[in-house]
Amino acid sequence: MTDVHVVGVGMTRFGKHPDSDATDLGAAALLEAVADAGIDPRIIEAAYVGHVFQGMVTGQRILAQVGLAGLPLANVENACSSGATAIREASLAIRAGENDVVVAIGTEHLTTRFSGALTPDPSDPEAAVGATMPGVYAMRATRYMEEYGMTREQLALIPVKNKANAAANPLAHFRKEITVADVLESRPIADPLRLHDCSPITDGAAAVIVMSDTAAKKYANGRGVRLAASTLRSGSVDVEPTSMTYEPLTWATAKEAYEKSGIGPDEVDFAEVHDCFSIAEVLRVEGLGLFEQGSYPWAVERGEANIDGRLPINPSGGLLGKGHPLGGTGVAQVVELVRQLRGEAGDRQIEGVRVGLAHCRGGKAVGIEGAACTVQILIR
Amino acid sequence: MTTTVIGESFRPGELEVRSDGTGNLLGSKCRSCGAHFFPIRQACAGCLGQDLETVKFSTEGTLYTYTIVRQSTPAFEVPYALGYVDFPEGVRIMGQIVGVEFDEIAIGMPMTLVLEPFGKDEDGNALTGYRFRPAEADND
Repeated sequence: MTDVHVVGVGMTRFGKHPDSDATDLGAAALLEAVADAGIDPRIIEAAYVGHVFQGMVTGQRILAQVGLAGLPLANVENACSSGATAIREASLAIRAGENDVVVAIGTEHLTTRFSGALTPDPSDPEAAVGATMPGVYAMRATRYMEEYGMTREQLALIPVKNKANAAANPLAHFRKEITVADVLESRPIADPLRLHDCSPITDGAAAVIVMSDTAAKKYANGRGVRLAASTLRSGSVDVEPTSMTYEPLTWATAKEAYEKSGIGPDEVDFAEVHDCFSIAEVLRVEGLGLFEQGSYPWAVERGEANIDGRLPINPSGGLLGKGHPLGGTGVAQVVELVRQLRGEAGDRQIEGVRVGLAHCRGGKAVGIEGAACTVQILIR
Repeated sequence: MTTTVIGESFRPGELEVRSDGTGNLLGSKCRSCGAHFFPIRQACAGCLGQDLETVKFSTEGTLYTYTIVRQSTPAFEVPYALGYVDFPEGVRIMGQIVGVEFDEIAIGMPMTLVLEPFGKDEDGNALTGYRFRPAEADND
């Protein structure tokens, strides 16, 4: 079976884009990925396009805008894991031998679809009693603080770190460093979470071009990065109430990726994880097995997750700093991994990295631990 | 304790509201393995059995965690307390918390289900929903 190689990457600036829509952004990201790969776009054989609130056939609109209509194309919705799921679909098409060159795009124009707190689908029993996404994560933070003694100040160090990284990322939504005091004085959203603990409402898109061994040999010019695993899981139904401070879904998805890639958590050099809220970064890295359960807030305090630390987490700025255009997020994580692994990450470059991991987790439905979770492992 | 019921259940599949002012959250119990689920399911996630019965859950449980929501959708007036309550059947159910100052809410508090007005239907008739309230002391 062929390996999968990420050969071209593209990404728009993340932020507010009042003068363009999800189609414009997706098309711009696609054209940049094509240019980055240095290929004739006509060799692209299929497309998968992740988005959440953009309506029917946004993928077809994107391809029509760049003259590539006619390809097999599937639009993919998996909440905040939509873009990452599109990459997984693209990689499966390559591994299955069906295609040699496939593009995965993620896009979202969220500022025109949502303001304020995101909520689960209105049909959900928890949405009916007032659940918001910040509220759910706030409850997990409350419980984590009770169980492990994490302080509010420790939690604030996560947005401080990620926004410092974002300040070094020209494509990030936020470009300003903040302090612990800024976090603690920002507007309360759902106790104990405040505005700086929450990812923003962001527009943006990203695209990656993946290839088989055969195509990569022909086109990659040594710039390919191997996508050693791309795994996807959905949350299982709780048969009894389970801990909300641990993520079996994240671990199950990661374990499969570690097995498929032959890379253990101790070999991961850096990671982009789904920090939709400050507490989410804690839960993700512990669920991934990158840090011990109950230890991460103290590791952040010691600087271990900084760009120059032992295991940098979210060097791009993460969702908190770079922004979170739902469909675009998972693809943008892989763009960051590729740029870091190629040594093209500019002021936020991590030295000497070989293995990167990306993790997305999205959606909320009553009675299940999480809706859609993905893990991608890239090896230079 | 009786509650004045002023309308139909806001979600009849999940909350039974009776004419005497009492009510229960509804879910499924698997007749094969005994697992309980909220809301009602069509098959058991424990054993995949399809022999499920609809059951009424206890009205007393324990608060697992909580938050004070200060930004929400227009349908909900902020701030409000929101929590997960663990019931003895082995289900954890989310609901708003009332009858207690925000800063007195604590993990592990015993909680009681109460029926309260909760929104309106399409014709403007008041509906009845549920919230959680700290359980009264034994001598009350």
